[in-house]
Amino acid sequence: MNEVGRLELIRESLVAVVNEMRANIIRGSYSSIIYEGHDFSCALVTSDGRLVAQGLADNPIHIFAVPYSAAEVVKTFGDDIHEGDIFLHNDPYTGGTHLNDILMLYPVFYQGRLALFTAARCHWGDVGGMTPGSLSGRVTDIYQEGMRIEPTRIAERGRMNEPFLGLLLDNMRIRHERRGDFNTMHGTSLKAAEHIQRLFRRFGGSAFLDAVEELILRSETLMRQRIGAIPDGTYHAEAYLDSNGHSPEPLAGRLKLTVDGDRLIADFTGSSPQTGGPTNVGPAMALNAVASVVKSYLDPQTPVNHGSFNPITIVNPRGSFLNATLPVPCGGMAECRAIMVAMMVSALGQALPQKLVGDLKGGANHVYVSGPHPSSTDDKAGIFLLYEYPAGGTGATIGADGNHVVRAFPEGDFNVVQPAEVVEMQCPVRIEHYGIRENSCGDGEFRGGCGMRRDIRVLVDGASLSVLADHAVIPPFGVAGGYSGAANRFVVLRGGEVLQPSPVPGKVGGFMLRKDDIVRMESSGGGGYGDPLKRDPERVARDVFLGYLSGERAEQRYGVALAADGSVDAGATDGLRRRVRAARLMVRVAAASADDFDGPRRRIGLSPAVAARLGVGEDDLVELATPSGAAALRGWVRMAPGTDGEALRLGPLGIAALGSAAGDRIEVRAVGAIA
Amino acid sequence: MTARARYIVGVDVGGTFTDLIAFDEAEGRLLSAKVPSLPGEQWRGVLDALTELGIAFDAIRAFVHGTTIATNALLERQGAKTALVTTKGFRDVLEIGKGRRLVGGLFDTTWQRPAPLVPRDRRHEVGERIDADGTVLATATESEIEALAGTLRRQGVEAVAVAFVHSYRNPENELAVAAALRQRLNAVPVTESAVLIPERGEFERSSTVVLNAYLTPVMTKYLGTLSSELSGRGIRAPVNIMGSNGGAMTLEAARQRCVGTFLSGPVGGVGGAVRAAEAADLGDLITFDMGGTSTDVALVHGRAPRMSHDNQVDAYPLQMPQLDIHTIGAGGGSIVWIGPDRTLEIGPQSAGASPGPACYGRGGDRPTISDANLLLGRLPTDRPLAGGLVLDVAAAEAAFRALGTALGTDDPVALADGALAVAVAKMAGAVREVSVHRGFDPRDFALVGFGGAGPMHGFMVAEELGMTRVLIPRFPGHLSALGQMMADLRRDFVKAWGGRLGTLSPGALKREAEALRRQGVGLLLDDGIARERQRHAFTIDMRYAGQSYTLGIPWNFDDPDFGPLRRAFDDLHAATFGFADRANEAEMVNIRLVSIGDVDKPVLDFASPAAGDPNAGGRSVWFGRWLDTAIFDRARMPAGFAFSGPAIVEEAGGTSVVPPGWSVTVDASGALVCGFDDGTR
Repeated sequence: MNEVGRLELIRESLVAVVNEMRANIIRGSYSSIIYEGHDFSCALVTSDGRLVAQGLADNPIHIFAVPYSAAEVVKTFGDDIHEGDIFLHNDPYTGGTHLNDILMLYPVFYQGRLALFTAARCHWGDVGGMTPGSLSGRVTDIYQEGMRIEPTRIAERGRMNEPFLGLLLDNMRIRHERRGDFNTMHGTSLKAAEHIQRLFRRFGGSAFLDAVEELILRSETLMRQRIGAIPDGTYHAEAYLDSNGHSPEPLAGRLKLTVDGDRLIADFTGSSPQTGGPTNVGPAMALNAVASVVKSYLDPQTPVNHGSFNPITIVNPRGSFLNATLPVPCGGMAECRAIMVAMMVSALGQALPQKLVGDLKGGANHVYVSGPHPSSTDDKAGIFLLYEYPAGGTGATIGADGNHVVRAFPEGDFNVVQPAEVVEMQCPVRIEHYGIRENSCGDGEFRGGCGMRRDIRVLVDGASLSVLADHAVIPPFGVAGGYSGAANRFVVLRGGEVLQPSPVPGKVGGFMLRKDDIVRMESSGGGGYGDPLKRDPERVARDVFLGYLSGERAEQRYGVALAADGSVDAGATDGLRRRVRAARLMVRVAAASADDFDGPRRRIGLSPAVAARLGVGEDDLVELATPSGAAALRGWVRMAPGTDGEALRLGPLGIAALGSAAGDRIEVRAVGAIA
Repeated sequence: MTARARYIVGVDVGGTFTDLIAFDEAEGRLLSAKVPSLPGEQWRGVLDALTELGIAFDAIRAFVHGTTIATNALLERQGAKTALVTTKGFRDVLEIGKGRRLVGGLFDTTWQRPAPLVPRDRRHEVGERIDADGTVLATATESEIEALAGTLRRQGVEAVAVAFVHSYRNPENELAVAAALRQRLNAVPVTESAVLIPERGEFERSSTVVLNAYLTPVMTKYLGTLSSELSGRGIRAPVNIMGSNGGAMTLEAARQRCVGTFLSGPVGGVGGAVRAAEAADLGDLITFDMGGTSTDVALVHGRAPRMSHDNQVDAYPLQMPQLDIHTIGAGGGSIVWIGPDRTLEIGPQSAGASPGPACYGRGGDRPTISDANLLLGRLPTDRPLAGGLVLDVAAAEAAFRALGTALGTDDPVALADGALAVAVAKMAGAVREVSVHRGFDPRDFALVGFGGAGPMHGFMVAEELGMTRVLIPRFPGHLSALGQMMADLRRDFVKAWGGRLGTLSPGALKREAEALRRQGVGLLLDDGIARERQRHAFTIDMRYAGQSYTLGIPWNFDDPDFGPLRRAFDDLHAATFGFADRANEAEMVNIRLVSIGDVDKPVLDFASPAAGDPNAGGRSVWFGRWLDTAIFDRARMPAGFAFSGPAIVEEAGGTSVVPPGWSVTVDASGALVCGFDDGTR
């Protein structure tokens, strides 16, 4: 065969296998989160666990972690892997994501030698544990999150280990659905393996596997070229999770990103210790997050394979919440990944300012409403389970506003809610409102997208609510001087009263609902880009006209005055913009010898006068922002009487993360002043 | 029909050209004309083409029209100023859907969601609600509707879509609000979602009804002008419009359901391929319609093209039954380029008609698939193509050499061969999409190649997929128009009805089915089709309890029980997904009915071949190596004529490239019936 074009043929063929797997899983599966939500991914990996191909609809959060899992299986079973074996894995500490994501690896052999694995990772609706759906914001160890499966052989040489499978499924809610999901993954794997065997016959197995290596090498070469073009240097970023679900203490993520020639070193040393709540993640997620941003910033077009990962080195000490060990829970893996993505967006964005993008909703926003099913003919063990994971607004970039309520760039393209017409048929609830959450966008010259609001009325007694979400206290940040999006918010409306279902916002475990309660989910808006006072007033007027933004907000943030007919009042706008600018609280950066950390919290010392002008007090959250910087830098107020109100002392990490220098004039803001 | 009414006319209005052909039943001749399309006045192109053809207008007995009006109006966002009326709390569903991007966007930080066809200020809520069982919980008040009508008037709305939650279970609120608005808004068309498509899923149904409302005024205006202009010229033949479901629609049906016409062009080709395959006694085929910028493929099983019910047009879900046609952006004019990781890429950018491929010598300097074919000897270099164009080898070579630098080769033949292989792999991927992904093995099917470039690439695609039968119909460049002429009238109906099989009785299913069939019979009677010329066939959408996606299972109305249906479902599930859950309960979800009205079709009896020797010499052609290759003139091939590859068959509007290993026979209809046998299979 002609060499020119052969690689491409093989690449097309590999993607065809993955696409076929996707089609089969969607159509055959039993968990609504798979067939409606598309919360699953498929891939092919090499015999030593490197990623060969994924589809463009597949979710990097699943797939970029598959190599770790596959390598673990290879390490565990070594030469003891045979045709007809099937492996399951979901253990976060050895490369899994969270327990709900069940990975099935199916080895494919060529002439008696292990050649490839097919991989399907599907989010099962329930894997046992403390609460229906298995994910909860209030767990304290992983045993409450369901069945943990270290690399396990579930079928040996074509013979299913039925007793083990039975034991597994007996400990999960709605057993027959789980069995159906398992069967679907199994059937899909067999079909994919048949397809790969046809490819071996056609191209010759060795030639085929050589081409796979060549494709990986080419991706690596391209990625190294792209990294080589970035200015060498060390870039710092930090970000926070709200809490571990039990105490109001935040968790700090810290990143030192080094660009050294054609390689990148992402060092998460200094991040908070692991915690007895759901916000931890295993070792696979750091590369996952880093690679997602590297791919997005440097090479969004070419198909993904392991070559893109090779130039990346991860330093991530064990025992932090970003590389957790037994027995801490890991349900909040998406939340942990989200802040690693956020830190990468900011750190790499300092090197490549044109690429900066506002922050996102802070994770998956898992919401479960579950309870007794009134219909006795239903065989779902008498319970209903409604699982949704609201998308938020996406972040703004230098030329473009974010989008309202949609999956964001590092996420696969899932449905995030089910149709009301499906939900109301399957569950005793009524969707009373589903729409754009007005005024939730992060303001900026380019604004973030708005989040959503969804009101779910519960029509039975005895149901409960569980939520696992973040950024319900600390909102998504803006970049280059842009403002935060509104934080996530999950409340219950009962007889006209607004109830907080948990002392820790965003982390709810089995809050008991009553008939006619309304569960209100409001997702966050995307972070803004740049100074809102520079936004084209016509675009502000348009947002107000369409109801995305209030007239009041247009005035306060954007300094845009609108006439009675909704058009821009140019004269009044000029004056208003001057006044808004003048009212900003600007300070001068002064270099301190060390950063002021208090546990996980960065402390920002403010003079009483400055604090009073901002309307904040001790321990309140504030942020520092500058148009020439990357992400806004967050910290908690330390009242510092007697300091010069003009100067703000910042340690070296803070100055670096903000992208400023001593002497710069920057803005201090209270966070969450306008919700 | 008078003795003089001897022509059947098929016309395809494209964005650039209007193609018209007329089949003369008296002489078995095909006449064709091509004129520029006139933006905004496409009917004028139709008349120009008719005039150019020079046939007597009153000698036309039937007129079938494949139109891209709806497609173009959507792509150019030239539809009507539309409003949407929704249930309270649901006005943003159209904009945010279920939170998916639906078009690309992974790793793209600057991705922008395409704007909804109805902006937020024209999406209005009313205080109505129906629950999942169809029980009315609230209805819109008189004063609410009055105020709404006032707002719509003030907004200058030109079309209105009404889509309420659960209207597919109970349409009464939708019907009432729509009727009240019609009464108050005079000529503004109002479409109800449940009338258009009574299926579950508020986002998909809203999107579909909005598309319909958005395009209705454009379609109505066009069809009105066209029919009055045609009858003004003395054309008395009825005008039918090709529908995406593969059947023809009357003008009235096309006006009401313009979202049923997005595939108006490509479906003609599928129909034409089915007829051609029937003549060769083939029932299972994959159609391969390759043009200049794109390739359309579809699977036909047991002479019935497969249907797809959940579709998407542009960024918008479309819940309309369409032929399951898969389109990819690769055709003869697709540009060959080098990706950032030094791999060879094809399309979707196309050189189009201007400048065209490099070998056209009209200023194009980027290599295309046509250039690759030329360099490999598959197109003639020594004499003009049918249109009079002489191809420029040097230009094609220069274009490929420019790519070679990046790939480290200066061999234009290797580059052209590689580019062609990649293009073929892409097209094979499209075939796989409609076959393997739907549970069919392409090797059980014959490939029918047509369109301008189909006969040139069809054999390679077949080989790529292990298919051993290829059919190249007569007049492959005109097969779509021929297919349109042969199209029967078709209406699709759906009723959301079902539950677990164990809880349903065959009698109840029959009652529901009978009600649907009465609708079908009535509508076809209205279309002028007598009862004895009607056919009605049912399909049941089925799944296992707990699943969501369904498989469509043909159902025989006279089955005494559900046994055959259940067995057919289990078998299809096993074949498609690798397992069957025979112990689990199965559910019915929808009853679907297809009602077909037979129309008088032309007898496609082409005139005998021209006299003379079909052998037209030979040249050296690349098939992995240079081979002496015979060239044949198709117009002179008699039935029964047989030959083997390597061979090239030339005719106006298409070149068939037959690789080694294939043997070819010309059948009675003039089609090339080709089989592969290299001794290994």
